[in-house]
Amino acid sequence: MSFIPGLGIAKGMALTLRRFFEPKVTIKYPEERYEVAPKFRGRLQLLYDEWGTLKCETCFQCAQACPIECIDMGGVDTRGRYHVHWGPPEQYGERREESALRRSGRPVPDPAFLPFQPIDLAEVDAVLDEYDHDPNRMLDILEGTQGAYGYLPVAALKRISHATGAWYATIYGTASFYGHLRFEPPTATDQAAAVARHRPAESSYLAALDAALVGNGHPGAQTQARA
Amino acid sequence: MTEILRTPAGWPSILLDRADAKAPTDLDAATAAGAFDGLRRAIHDLGPTGTIAEVAAAGLRGRGGAGYPTGKKWRAAAEVEAPRRFAVANGYGADPACHTDRMLLLRDPYAVVEGLAIAAYAAGASEAFIAVRAEDTDVVAAVAAAIGEATEAGFLGPDVLGSGHDIFMSVRPVQGAYMLGEETVLLKALEGKRGQPEQRPPYPTERGLFGMPTVVNNVQTVAAVPWIVRNGAAAFAAIGDPASPGTVLVQLRTPGGDGIAEVPLGTPLRDVIALGAAMPAGRSLQAVLVGGPSGGLLPPDVLDTPYTFEALRSAGAHMGSGSVVVVDDRTDLVELIGVLTRFCSSEACGKSIPCRIGTKRLAEIVTRREDGLARPTDNALGQDLAADIVASALCDHERLATIPYTSGMRYFASAFDSASRPEPAATETPR
Repeated sequence: MSFIPGLGIAKGMALTLRRFFEPKVTIKYPEERYEVAPKFRGRLQLLYDEWGTLKCETCFQCAQACPIECIDMGGVDTRGRYHVHWGPPEQYGERREESALRRSGRPVPDPAFLPFQPIDLAEVDAVLDEYDHDPNRMLDILEGTQGAYGYLPVAALKRISHATGAWYATIYGTASFYGHLRFEPPTATDQAAAVARHRPAESSYLAALDAALVGNGHPGAQTQARA
Repeated sequence: MTEILRTPAGWPSILLDRADAKAPTDLDAATAAGAFDGLRRAIHDLGPTGTIAEVAAAGLRGRGGAGYPTGKKWRAAAEVEAPRRFAVANGYGADPACHTDRMLLLRDPYAVVEGLAIAAYAAGASEAFIAVRAEDTDVVAAVAAAIGEATEAGFLGPDVLGSGHDIFMSVRPVQGAYMLGEETVLLKALEGKRGQPEQRPPYPTERGLFGMPTVVNNVQTVAAVPWIVRNGAAAFAAIGDPASPGTVLVQLRTPGGDGIAEVPLGTPLRDVIALGAAMPAGRSLQAVLVGGPSGGLLPPDVLDTPYTFEALRSAGAHMGSGSVVVVDDRTDLVELIGVLTRFCSSEACGKSIPCRIGTKRLAEIVTRREDGLARPTDNALGQDLAADIVASALCDHERLATIPYTSGMRYFASAFDSASRPEPAATETPR
């Protein structure tokens, strides 16, 4: 507390006066636009829906934008694929139920952990050599890897990330987008069915179109094969 | 393979000029029929700016669906200062039911190779890619063979025809997503990235493949370029509609059969449909689906609409993939709209939220109507939702994905009335 009367207000007015002559921070949006860094995404927050499940669709857009590659995630992606990366399952909220089961000592069938099995990396190294460790040929590398193993094991994706210098999130984002790339062996039919439910193959669209165009049992329909 | 439909005498043949060749990848036969004359003329007589001026004067517009003037696009790419430029021919043919691009690449790969070489020369691009469907192994082989032959003959490669300009062309098979038909998505795939569209501007002509100016054209667009350079801009501008001259390939599907036809732009829809097989006896035309999976349904009384970009758009459809489907009165339109909307929704890439969630909700609205479980507010809700999705669109897929629904509501609103739908099953109660 000051004993000189008026010192407080003088200090305050001095600050006001200083700020008054400083350049303004406020801009006249939308006439003027602030320079936003291309990777800026605002404050990231995980949202839950009304049933308490995560709304995150594991699209990896935030992880791809993260400049220091600190975001990693697990969960159900847009193609119904259940995928957890690394780390204990207890870290992932959506895996609560299973991890609780596991702690209770009961055996839990867990296909999500199969991709973490170590694999023979010689084949993925051969593919990487063929494409010169070039991240711009990522689709070719991924297709070659899938040709060698039958699917894309997580260990192979990590090897590709180390060898090409591309981020794991970017590689996973690429691999999870294209319909012909898969993370499970072709024998995992239930997983393939889940993927097909989320994003049906072109053939099912063509079949549905054919069915819709010939009437499909509605009044006046005639069963007639299309040429 | 889909057959080529016979068009009336007097209709021009630009894209399918050499389509009846016995061996499409035989370079000697193709050059005897005029292949690479256009490239010679572009390099020796016109020069890059002259070629762009010729294509611009011809009024050629992008056949990928948007109808952007091709000459303007090339000029934009050529004017940007850059160490490298790229030219890309999009032959992905995203619509699974439309085989026009595939047919063109199989029957006359040299038209596309030459057109893309001219595009690369005019825009100053030294690397060119033809993107095709990886599933169509015969197309990949044909295009690769054509590029190999042309490179060996000196039409491609270093110092093309003594111009001092290098054009290295290669075929890039891509697969795995409907969205690859969109130009920025295709560029992402060529870069080996997740195929999600970019915000435009900047357009690919400014910042495209690997951040360099890139010309992306549909294969039908580049296939028309050699003809323009050979025969002159005036001859091309005289064909079809004055505002959008030239011809396009149309995948026609009628209850009597399928086929591909080369149609001058501006032809009334009625004449396009007449190329196909006649209606089966006792059946009548209910609607025409123009534009593929995101196409619009047009009723019989607007069949005089000319087949041009603007006229189709104002009628509520769009040219899209170039597919025209004749729908007869056996078809349940709501079911058809449901099939299309569900496809557009499941193929949405997920980048833009109105598209990812909005098209899903729209598909649910149509599915409810199909199942007879529609709520009273569904029609208004669907219209609002469709308008919002279009208004916030990031790419053309999002802009067009609602067209099956909106065109259905515009012309066939009665089909959406509950009265015309089957009664819901007794166990299900409308919510």
